[in-house]
Amino acid sequence: MTDHVIRLAVNDKQIEATVPARLTLADFLRDRLGLTGTHLGCEHGVCGACTVLVDERSVRACITLAVQVDGCSITTVEGLTGPLADRLRAAFSRRHGLQCGFCTPGFLVTATEMIQNDSRPKPLTADYVRETLSGNTCRCTGYQGIVQAVLDAEAHDHITG
Amino acid sequence: MTLIGTSVPRREDERLLAGKGSFLADQAQGAYHVMFVRSDIAHGELRHIDVSAAQDMPGVVGVFTADQLGLRDNYIAPLHEPHPEFVAATAFAMADQRLALMADRRVHYVGQIVAAVVASDRYLAEDAAELVNVGYAALPVVVEMEDALDADAPVLHEQLSSNEAASLSYTFGDPDSARAQAAVTVAETYRIGRHGAVPLECRGVLTRIDHRTGEVDVWTSTQIPHMVRRGICAATGWTTDAVRVHVPDVGGGFGTKANVYPEEVLVPLLARLTGRDVVWVEDRHEHLTAAAQGRDQVHRCVLSVDADGRILALEDDFLVNIGAGSLWVAGIIANTAIHILGPYRVPAARVSGKGIFTNKAIVAQYRGAGRPEASFVLERSLDAAARRLGLTNVEIRRRNLLTAQDMPYPQPLPYRDGVPIVYDGGDYRACLDAALELLPTSVVAQEQAAHPELLIGHGVGCYLEATGRGPYEAAKISVTPQGRIEVMTGAASAGQGHETSFAQVAAQSLGLPMEAVRVLPTDTGSLAHGIGSFGSRSAVLAGNAIAQTAALLVDNGRRRFAQATGADLAEVGYREGIFQAPGRDPVGWRELAQLGAPGKALEGEPPLYAASMYRCDTVTWTMGAHATVVGVHPGTGIVRVLRYAVAHEGGVEINPLVVEGQVLGGVAQGVGGTLYEEFRYGADGSPRSTTFAEYGLPGSNEVPEVLIRHLGVPTDNPLGVRGAGESGTIAVAAAVAAAIDAATGCTHVTATPIAPRTIKTALEAT
Ligand code: FES
Ligand code: FES
Repeated sequence: MTDHVIRLAVNDKQIEATVPARLTLADFLRDRLGLTGTHLGCEHGVCGACTVLVDERSVRACITLAVQVDGCSITTVEGLTGPLADRLRAAFSRRHGLQCGFCTPGFLVTATEMIQNDSRPKPLTADYVRETLSGNTCRCTGYQGIVQAVLDAEAHDHITG
Repeated sequence: MTLIGTSVPRREDERLLAGKGSFLADQAQGAYHVMFVRSDIAHGELRHIDVSAAQDMPGVVGVFTADQLGLRDNYIAPLHEPHPEFVAATAFAMADQRLALMADRRVHYVGQIVAAVVASDRYLAEDAAELVNVGYAALPVVVEMEDALDADAPVLHEQLSSNEAASLSYTFGDPDSARAQAAVTVAETYRIGRHGAVPLECRGVLTRIDHRTGEVDVWTSTQIPHMVRRGICAATGWTTDAVRVHVPDVGGGFGTKANVYPEEVLVPLLARLTGRDVVWVEDRHEHLTAAAQGRDQVHRCVLSVDADGRILALEDDFLVNIGAGSLWVAGIIANTAIHILGPYRVPAARVSGKGIFTNKAIVAQYRGAGRPEASFVLERSLDAAARRLGLTNVEIRRRNLLTAQDMPYPQPLPYRDGVPIVYDGGDYRACLDAALELLPTSVVAQEQAAHPELLIGHGVGCYLEATGRGPYEAAKISVTPQGRIEVMTGAASAGQGHETSFAQVAAQSLGLPMEAVRVLPTDTGSLAHGIGSFGSRSAVLAGNAIAQTAALLVDNGRRRFAQATGADLAEVGYREGIFQAPGRDPVGWRELAQLGAPGKALEGEPPLYAASMYRCDTVTWTMGAHATVVGVHPGTGIVRVLRYAVAHEGGVEINPLVVEGQVLGGVAQGVGGTLYEEFRYGADGSPRSTTFAEYGLPGSNEVPEVLIRHLGVPTDNPLGVRGAGESGTIAVAAAVAAAIDAATGCTHVTATPIAPRTIKTALEAT
């Protein structure tokens, strides 16, 4: 198995690593960097639990190879910081948008991308939120609390600009 | 202090939202990885296993087959047997199940373990597992229950004489003469497809060896750590003090993790055999192949009613396909048989059921475990009778539902625990009315206007569920030297928020603020006995165990205070964290705990704690009613659930936010099983639903918003709580099927998952 040297930024930290070609980004983050907040629910690109931001766009880390993100900037759930992240987290808790919490990192990352996207409807609608979250699976909550949490976090965003 | 009944924000949330949860796979650093080699045929004899190529692969420290394991018992014993009174009343019988943990002579389903590879990392373990060469002599495969019962069907388990895993039957009243007098009798066959829990986190087991003592620490993603310990010890012959089972954060369970699995025995054993820490992290393909599945029932139901629609007799004969085996077969068929009576006046019944072995994957108790199946059959039968009589679905139920005047309502039958069944409800008819207030039939016109392209229909479904099954749950409450209160119970959390709701119970019972209390994850080394979290039992059993133990802890504290101060015990009072007696300085838990420190009044006294088991006489019954409005696309037959409402007779809610979450999540799973999810099998027994794309979990576009009304009806336990974990799931199939029939006007849905194709065909035929 050929090894490759990759250089990337993970949660604003510069990293250089030697990785086998077949190592997935998810395993790289979890096993090499200890960033276990990125969860694996299916390892075949359907559930969204492994969602991370690669250069600010959401990507499924389970079907991405570490070598593919050479030169990129990665944000995992551990790296979601700032006022929007704080509001999202508070709203998820208040609205009971999580039970077991296994899907939660993926939802937080997807929701962050959604709210940061300038072409989204303003204000967000429940239908748009449901549509945008439809690539993330939650088995516990029935989605109701998650959708409300995203609307709450965004509504605040809207008011405060 | 009123913590019980308050929607306290969950304590679990902060770490989970930060990505700092501690799930099984998150704790695997440094451990060697186990990869199981699994059967790829559904039935056959093992001819040879060649592991030499695998053994020579880099990183591999061992490849193991059944004959190298030295197991005492190569199987796990059933996890439930009904009480003798129930056995006598229902002629219950159960076959001796001995499904191999690791196949030694035969394989019985695709996914059964035949060998295990241990290697230094997951990638290398997978490489090596691919090189294990297994030769089989295929045997005839049985997939359908009807085939399994055929006179010349192959008998799947060598030690048995038929494919019957368990059976029961009971009769009361006089169903034959009731049927003869009936104005209308409806008879139909109903099928509930095979679907299951499918938590977002797969299973996983980690074992670390303490080389000083030889003891093993096992972490497993389970709802029932004490039963896992029992399974490990029974199969290996180890004593219970040689193995300690811990529960990490668990990413959903819903029953599939309330099972004891071969992997939970084999991983600790492989750790001992290799002398290394080892971990097995299940992948999704394995989970959808080898983890326990659910439902898969066929019922032949005959319902007789009089001219007013009043039930005269219910006759039901059902089969449950338990695949290669189910450690819970007794619970599943008993649940089904009991809950088929529903929340109605049923003067006569004849019910019989069987669990059947086939070559599908194993089965456990999935959320509801017999209750959703029973509800679907009974409710569909009521709808069929209503249609024949020209009554509405609501009216036939209103005429049969038990009301406040009927309560408490005895059934001529014992529950699984042997205690005669007595429904302890409030007013079941009022509960249906409450659901209809949330979602009246008039909503149909609104939805029709909003969706002119769809056919719109309204449906209702009722259920009754026995919750809080005993016999007991254990709790232990300790006081740290800093005075913090630490609580542990046998009811391990799988996402239900126990760290919060159990802390509410403990804090309120002790008159302390929440901050003073911490709920610890369950581990069998710290808590000698326990049962677990399943069947809507944690709030009832563990909740009351905590309240009871808290009272004992206060007694212990009072005694210690008296001992330290010389006060008369009878005069020692306790209030809101403070012990006091006339003429003595009051002290709090912290000071009391520190009295045992060197040089203090009670030097050498062990830390303060109390432990007890809460026993309940029998179950408590939660009734509920669901109402829904669906839209059916006439061109495709695709169904959208547009509106949903649940009213239920819960008891006291410890944390209303958590209870509501249970109902919401339950409805989502019900919708999944009703419309999308299915474990399909080929005629050769090969699983066809082995990815998320094929299995069909509902997403955010498929699950409706749900309105909930909680009709608090206290019950006879100290906290007054009833279980609610399954309330959201049970009546979904019944309500959605009824709404579809109302929308199309030309269907009578008899099977789940409800295929768009069937609806489309029916619409085209009209
Ligand atoms: S784990 Fe990556 S999409 Fe499911
Ligand atoms: S909270 Fe458990 S999967 Fe979403």
